[in-house]
Amino acid sequence: MDRVVAAELLRTMWRIRLFEERVAQLKRSLQVHGLIHLSLGGEGVAAAVCRQLRDSDAVYSGHRAHGHAIAKGAPIDGVMAELMGRKDGICQGLGGSMHLVDTAHGFMGATGVVGGNLPLALGTALTQHLTGTDNVTVVFFGDGAVQAGHFNESINLAALWRLPVIFVCENNGMAEFTAREEHSTIERVSDVVAPYGFERITVNGSDVPAVYDAFGDFLKQARKGAGPYLLECVTYRRAGHYEGDPEKYRDPVAEQEWAQRDPLARMTARAITEGWVDEPTAGAIERHAAAEIEEAVRFARDSPFPDPELSAKLVYAR
Amino acid sequence: MTELDNDKLVWMFTQMLRIREFEERVKRTFEEHPGVIRGHTHLADGAEASIVGSLATLKPGDQLMATYRCHGYPIALGTDTKSIMAEIYGRKDGLCGGYGGSMHLVDPERGFMGTSGIVGQGIPQATGLAFAAQLRNRSHPPQVVLSFFGDGASKQGAFHESLNLASLWKLPVVYIMENNNYNVATRSEQEDANAAAGEPLSRKAAAYSMPGVTVDGTDPIAVYEAVGAAAGRARAGDGPTLIESKVYRLSAHGNIIAPPGVPLHYPEHEAITVFGNRAEYEAALRGDPVPRFRARLVEQSVLDQARADEIAQGVRDEMDAAVKFALDDPFPDPEAAAKIDYVYA
Amino acid sequence: MAREIPYIAAVQEAIRVEMERDPTVVFYGQDVAPSDEDPLVQAFGRQRVRVSPISETAEIGMAVGLALAGYRPVVELLMAEFMLVAMNQVVNEAPRLRYMSGGQVKVPAVFKAGYGFTAGWAGQHTGSIYGMFMGFPGLKIALPSTPADAKGLMAAAIRDDNPVCYLINYLLVLEHGDVPEGEYVVPFGEAAVRRAGSDVTIVATGWTVGKALAAAETLKAEGIEAEVIDPRTLNPLDTATILSSVEKTGRLVVVDQGTRHGGASAVIASEVAEHGFGSLKAPIAQVTALDVTVPYSEPMEAYVLPNEEKIAGTVRQVLGEAPVAA
Repeated sequence: MDRVVAAELLRTMWRIRLFEERVAQLKRSLQVHGLIHLSLGGEGVAAAVCRQLRDSDAVYSGHRAHGHAIAKGAPIDGVMAELMGRKDGICQGLGGSMHLVDTAHGFMGATGVVGGNLPLALGTALTQHLTGTDNVTVVFFGDGAVQAGHFNESINLAALWRLPVIFVCENNGMAEFTAREEHSTIERVSDVVAPYGFERITVNGSDVPAVYDAFGDFLKQARKGAGPYLLECVTYRRAGHYEGDPEKYRDPVAEQEWAQRDPLARMTARAITEGWVDEPTAGAIERHAAAEIEEAVRFARDSPFPDPELSAKLVYAR
Repeated sequence: MTELDNDKLVWMFTQMLRIREFEERVKRTFEEHPGVIRGHTHLADGAEASIVGSLATLKPGDQLMATYRCHGYPIALGTDTKSIMAEIYGRKDGLCGGYGGSMHLVDPERGFMGTSGIVGQGIPQATGLAFAAQLRNRSHPPQVVLSFFGDGASKQGAFHESLNLASLWKLPVVYIMENNNYNVATRSEQEDANAAAGEPLSRKAAAYSMPGVTVDGTDPIAVYEAVGAAAGRARAGDGPTLIESKVYRLSAHGNIIAPPGVPLHYPEHEAITVFGNRAEYEAALRGDPVPRFRARLVEQSVLDQARADEIAQGVRDEMDAAVKFALDDPFPDPEAAAKIDYVYA
Repeated sequence: MAREIPYIAAVQEAIRVEMERDPTVVFYGQDVAPSDEDPLVQAFGRQRVRVSPISETAEIGMAVGLALAGYRPVVELLMAEFMLVAMNQVVNEAPRLRYMSGGQVKVPAVFKAGYGFTAGWAGQHTGSIYGMFMGFPGLKIALPSTPADAKGLMAAAIRDDNPVCYLINYLLVLEHGDVPEGEYVVPFGEAAVRRAGSDVTIVATGWTVGKALAAAETLKAEGIEAEVIDPRTLNPLDTATILSSVEKTGRLVVVDQGTRHGGASAVIASEVAEHGFGSLKAPIAQVTALDVTVPYSEPMEAYVLPNEEKIAGTVRQVLGEAPVAA
C-alpha cells in the first residue's frame, strides 16, 4: 500500500459509492427499472481485489455486481446506460443489472442465480491452467451461495485440480432476507471449506488494506499456477437485498455501527493517518467521482433506447 | 446399547448370506438365462456386512432410502426374495409389478421407501423422511432414517445441501456413505479432493457441524456399533451423523451397458479391466466379509459348522426358488403400462 | 361470502386455510417467514413453517421424502427458474416414483414459484418455462389467472396426491378480485370460459388471459365476438372444453407468455389440430413470446412478449380480415 495505490482505491470506492447512490435515486424515480442489488458496503472488497488484477484476469460476479464491474474497469457510462436500458449500455440493454458483461476488461459476467457463476469460474481457471498463462480467475459470491450444491461441487473440483482460482466470499451475514444462522450451522465460510485443505483466510471486509494484502498474497501464488484460494471478507450490507426492500427483517441500522464498518470512511481516515493522501486530495477524489457519475447519467440519458428488433438478434453465435 | 446376542449375530450372518446368494443368482442369470434380465443391475456383493450391520440397528417405524444398488436392503428387511427377483426379471408379480426394475425397488411397509437411479438424489429425499419424523416427534422409540449412498454421491450438490440442512434443523437421520473407492470406473482419488489427499471422506462432515466417522464396512459388528451410536444421537434429538463405511464391491459396477442384441454380462472388476490391478481385487476377495464373519462366529462358538452349513443350504434353496418363481412368472399385461392409477394417485 | 382481496393474499390464504384444515401440510422455502412474527409462524409454529437456505435440490428432494412419509409439503421456490437448479428432483424423481413403484407410493407435494415477471428482471428471472414440464407425466401444472383461482387452485394443489408445479404470475400479484372465504377449491382439469363468443376461440394462460379479454373488447367494436378460455391447469388439460368451443367457432388462437417451441401453446394447438381438425375454418395461430431470452431494456422486453395488439391482430388474420404475416 502506498500513496498511488491508496488514491486509486479511494477513487474506485468513491465511484462505486456515488454510482450506487445515484442508481438508487434513479430506481426510485423509475428511470432504472427491474431488480437492482446495490454494492453499498462492498466497495472496499471490489476495489482492493480488482485493483491488483489485469484485463486478462477473469472476474465473475453474482447479482450484486455493479461494484465488481466498475472496479474491474467497465466504463461507468456504459454500466449506467445498461441499467437505464439504453443502446449504449455495455450489453446493449439486453442484460441489465444482474447480467453485466465486459470481456474487454475481463469482467466475464454476473449471474442472477445464486452461485451459478462458480462452475463458470472453474472453467476459465482450467483454461488458464491448460494454456500455462499466469492469468487467474476470481469469483465473487455471497455467504448465501455457500449452501448451494454447486458451491461444494466447485470447491471439490477446484481443490482436486488445483486450479488458479481465487474464491472471494463477501460474507455480509445475510442471504436475501434471512440471516446466516438460518442457513447454516457454520458461521465462517472459511470453515465450510476446511475439509478441503486449501489456503483460506477470513478478513474484515471493511479494512481495505487488510483485504488488499490478503488478496495480494493469494494472487502472487496463483500467478505461479497454484490454487485454489478462498478469501472471506466479512462485510456489511448497507442497504436491503434489493433496492426497494422494506427490510422488515433487520433492526434499524445504527449510524454509529455503519460508521465503524463503512469501508470508505475507514479507508479515508486511514489513508490520511498514514499520509498516503491528504484531506484536500481525498476531497478532490470524491468530487471528481461525483462529476464522473453525473457525466455517466448524462451519457445514459442521451443514449437512445435500443431498436426493439435488436431483441431478436444475438440469440445464436454465427 | 444392547449387546449383540447370539440370535442376533446368527441373524446378521444369515442376512449377509442371503444377500450374497441372491446377488450371485442375479449375476448367474446373465449366463444361464441370457436375455431374461434387461437393462442395468448393480450388486451388493462385498457390502453385505455394511448393509446388515446398519439395518440391524433399526427399530419398528424407522425408514431408509438407498441408491440403485438396492437389492440388499429389502432382502435384509424381509421382503420376499421371489418378488424381488421377479421385479428384476420384469414379471407381473415383481415387487413393483415390473414397473421399476432392479434400480427402483421399494417396500414402504417394511420402511424401505425407495431409491434413485441418479447419483446422490436420494439423499435429500431421505432428509425429507427425517423431516417428517421430526414433525411426528414419535418418542416410543423416536424414529430414525438411514440414508445410504456411495462415495461418488458425496461430490454432488445434493449431499452438501442435505447435510447442511439436516444439521441446521437437527434432523434424525444417519448418512451412511458406502465408500467402495470407485465411482463406476473412476477411483475416488481421481475425483475427490479428500481422497486425493489421502484423507478419509468422513472429514467432509466438519463442514456441517456433525460427527464424521469412518468404519470398516466389512465388519458387521463395527458397522452396527457405529450406526447404532449415530442412530442413538439422532433419536435423542442431537441431529445427524456422517458415517463412511469402507467396503469393496466384489463385482463390477454393474452389468455392461449395450444395445439390444448384445448379450449382457458382468465383466471383471474395474480394478482389473481399467487399472490392471488384479492384486487389489484379489486382496479384496481374501477379505470377503461373508466367509470371514462365518469363520468368526464359528471361532466364537456362536455357530458350529453344521449349523452354518444348514443355514447356507437353506439360503441356497430360498434363492433357487426365487429364480424359479421369477422365471415362471408371466410378464405383466402390456396395457398395464398405461395404468393411469399408477401415473397419478 | 366473497370479498375483494389481491391475488397474492389469496395464495397465502389458501395455504393458511389448508394448513389449518390438515396438520400434515408443511410450508418452507427461502425467505419463508424469516421472522417469528409472521402470521403463519404464529399460527402453526416453527416446525411446520420453516425458512431454508439456497439449496433447491435439498428443498425439493426433501419435499419428495416428506411426501413419501405421509406429509403434504408446499415448497416456496420463489422463481420458476430456480426449479431448474433442481430439475432432476422436479421432473425425474417426484412424478416418477409412484409409477416406478407399481403404485405403492404417492408424492403429494406442491412446488410453488412465480414466473413471468416482465418488469426488467432480465433474462434469467423472466421466463415462462412451464411448457417443458408438460412433457413429464405425473407432474401437474396450475397457472391461476385470477385471485379466486389463485386460492382455489392452491387448495386443490395441496389436496392433490401428486406433485404439482403451482405457478403464480408476478404481474398479477396485486390484482384484486372476489375471493370466497374459508375453504375454496377449484378442481384441476376444468378450464374456465372467461368470455363467451362465437367467432373465434382464444385460449390464453395466466397473465395473457387479461390481455386476451382486453383484445376481445377491442374486437367487439369491430363486430368480432371472441370466446376466451383459460385452461387454469396445463396438466391436467381440459381439451374437451377447448374442442367444444372450437367446434362452435371454427377458429383458434392460442396465447401463452412462454416461447413458441416446447411450450404450452404448441401442445394445445397440436391437440386441436389433431382432434378438432374437422371444425377448423382457418389454420390455428399462436401468439407467444419470441424464441429469445427476455431482454432487459423495456422497449425490447415489451417487443418480445405477447400483448393485446398482437392478439387482436392475430384474431383478425384467422378471420381472414387481415393478411397473414409470413
